[in-house]
Amino acid sequence: MGITFNNILILLLALGVTAYGLNASRADDDVASFPPVDHKLTHDECSACHMVYPAGLLPARSWSRMMRELDNHFGDDASLAPQQAAEIKRYLVDNAADGRMANTRMRRIAAGIQPNDAPLRFTETAYFHYVHDEVPNSMWKRSKIASKANCIACHTRAETGSFSEKEIRIPKE
Amino acid sequence: MKPLAPALALLLVPVMTQAATHEQILVAYQAQAGSGFSPSANRGETFFRAKHHKANGEIATCMDCHTENLKATGQTKAHKTIQPMAPSVNAERITDPAKVEKWFRRNCKDVLDRACTAEEKADFIAFLLSIR
Repeated sequence: MGITFNNILILLLALGVTAYGLNASRADDDVASFPPVDHKLTHDECSACHMVYPAGLLPARSWSRMMRELDNHFGDDASLAPQQAAEIKRYLVDNAADGRMANTRMRRIAAGIQPNDAPLRFTETAYFHYVHDEVPNSMWKRSKIASKANCIACHTRAETGSFSEKEIRIPKE
Repeated sequence: MKPLAPALALLLVPVMTQAATHEQILVAYQAQAGSGFSPSANRGETFFRAKHHKANGEIATCMDCHTENLKATGQTKAHKTIQPMAPSVNAERITDPAKVEKWFRRNCKDVLDRACTAEEKADFIAFLLSIR
């Protein structure tokens, strides 16, 4: 074939398309993947006990179930006045992984959950396992991580809804 | 005198829906406990430090999360810092009756497997207020 003008043009075009693609995926990683919880009551009540998890981590049916079972919330009583619970549930459902506002990442989370399943833990979803498949068991057991629910142990900006790879700092112990 | 206690508690309902002083909240629980009851910081401290054998086999104490020192920060099971409980170092504590009642409701169930009595709540608040 030899080096012709056409071959070089095709090569340059291919390189350009690849570079654009790489750039696009990096840009996707840079944006906050989940909108932070901007509903004050939800933020204040959830953050009293644990980091604020973005509503986009679970589908609406999971949030409905969670708010129905608040008096036994992972073994603890997290009950609220009915009116407050209803207001928080509305926010969580409206911003859920399968809601109208859901972005591509959230839709992938929702798509990985069986229609008849309403998990209460994001860490039990197929998507969580998929994005953490390179994390060995021994790492989860480090004392500064302690629990898979402790996102901020490694994802330094998790509470802002950002889980970008470059913000990950894994504790050594 | 007995019928007076519920009437007194009703009078205090407006207090329960807005910001209040530490003493107002203590007095409201004292009124619920009935006439003749006098809150005791000593009893409150014993209550705070007691170990409880729960139905699920666990032993629970208030100190599991709040630590032995109520002037220091504590930590929830989910790794969240709990601001100090003693109003002498955290003036915001025991100023919102609804918040106080919410946490008594949750924590008494989690630690004691039952609701706390008005007497226990009054004693515990008296203990908190005695910490200087």
